[in-house]
Amino acid sequence: VRCQHCPPLRALQASAALRRASDEHKEPLTSSSQQHFDSPPAGHQPEQEPQGPHPSYTGLGGQESEDYESEEQLQHRILTAALEFVPEHGWTAEAIAEGAKTLGLSVAAAGMFHSDGSELILHFVSECNTKLSKLLEKEQKLVQLGEAEKKPIDEFLRDAVEARLRMLIPYIEKWPQALSVLLLPRNIPSSLSLLTSMIDDIWHYAGDQSTDFSWYTRRAVLTGIYNTTELVMMQDSSPGFEDTWRFLENRVADAMTMSNTASQVQSTGEAVVQGLMGAAVTVSN
Amino acid sequence: VYQVFENVAKKYDVMNDSMTLGIHRVWKDILMHKMNPCPGTLLLDVAGGTGDIAFRFINYVRSVQQRQLQRKLQHHQNLSWQEIFESYQKDKFNSLGDSQVVVCDINREMLKVGKQKAQHLGYSEGLSWVLGNAEELPFDDDKFDVYTIAFGIRNVTRIDLALQEAYRVLKPGGRFLCLEFSHVSNPLLSRLYDLYSFQVIPVLGEVIAGDWKSYQYLVESIRQFPPQEELKAMIEDAGFFKVDYENLNFGIVAIHSGFKL
Repeated sequence: VRCQHCPPLRALQASAALRRASDEHKEPLTSSSQQHFDSPPAGHQPEQEPQGPHPSYTGLGGQESEDYESEEQLQHRILTAALEFVPEHGWTAEAIAEGAKTLGLSVAAAGMFHSDGSELILHFVSECNTKLSKLLEKEQKLVQLGEAEKKPIDEFLRDAVEARLRMLIPYIEKWPQALSVLLLPRNIPSSLSLLTSMIDDIWHYAGDQSTDFSWYTRRAVLTGIYNTTELVMMQDSSPGFEDTWRFLENRVADAMTMSNTASQVQSTGEAVVQGLMGAAVTVSN
Repeated sequence: VYQVFENVAKKYDVMNDSMTLGIHRVWKDILMHKMNPCPGTLLLDVAGGTGDIAFRFINYVRSVQQRQLQRKLQHHQNLSWQEIFESYQKDKFNSLGDSQVVVCDINREMLKVGKQKAQHLGYSEGLSWVLGNAEELPFDDDKFDVYTIAFGIRNVTRIDLALQEAYRVLKPGGRFLCLEFSHVSNPLLSRLYDLYSFQVIPVLGEVIAGDWKSYQYLVESIRQFPPQEELKAMIEDAGFFKVDYENLNFGIVAIHSGFKL
């Protein structure tokens, strides 16, 4: 007996069934994915996961009602589920296929994504950035409530970068592969924008209010620190990555002295110029 | 339609090669690459009479399985020889990784040719041959991971019924793939293509297969077939999501893909 599949509202069959079957189980996951699509409450938010082909809703049932999720949300869930298979399969379509399987979908669902796993990696980076952002916001709230001390800039930067890099630890073995995929010309716009928004975020929570040229230099410096530390972490085999954290500490300290030196040079320069002007005036008289 | 293919069955492969100058093999390979199946996939190939897609699928899955096996063995560098031998034996019996193809066709003759080909080329496991109508498939709901129909959908009288059946038998998350002749938008190329289709192909049909009328029908049915966007809309109407198409050779052939989500 064949049943007619013509629901008036064209809901995603799989997701509807899954949500009904395991509502409590999936609740925390879907609520976190909901948050991605709400507008950011305060300050900068890292850019949402850059989408590939946008879902096309033609014909009947183009609207999404609250009970059913969109294609994007389902893709989100598949990628999140796929992350746990990355240590074993790498950042590949196989990991995505395994992730789809755990959600009760066919392995063919991995065909929705590119076969080199780009979307999986970009999804992961975007998730990490969101986590970092939430962490920094929480810390800021504590400081505002007076429950914690405001950290000096170098310590703040160090802790933020360390927290962000620690999120890579479970996937560290396959991370070099991910880095190379992120550098593919096709992915560079997305990966670059994720990186810059993360750095922006860190500086924002560090209390950076500058509107002059130093805005660019600060971001460039921090990006440099982050990237070099990440590369060091790839080859680090010390227990608990202590070599990496020491490297990070040194780089941040360097950056601080450099900025002090720069401002010193500037004020010295100004003094020199004033002296010269005075001399010129004296000579002319 | 039945009689066309009854006449055509035996010479089908030869005609394909001569008509498309062998490019149809490339098209089918591209389809397989797009599918990118992993071991354990259950494929339904509809109107796949002589088994071209099915054989390619088996080859692909076998090579993927091999690669995975190699990677596994690389990780187990410190196993003893005995253990390596045992795991190798076990995986040899599982060379397809539980993947399976079901070839379904409305025409008994085409299936017969397909079975003979399989025997001849040495494909034994993972294949099934079923007689069936694309508008009313003899399978249960939610069974298959991938549904393909290569150069078959233009021969179906009610395309919308075939699409609905495809939707029914696919598992949630399953993929629909359709490889078919389509519309060429480039005007110069379209003139050349028309010339080739109407002048050369029926002549080849007469010379190679002794059948002018069938190939005349073929060329006309290609012209009658809905263009890319229209087929995409029909697939969406059947309930598929993320429907997309890829033109091969400027639109002479197009691969449409949709997911049951």
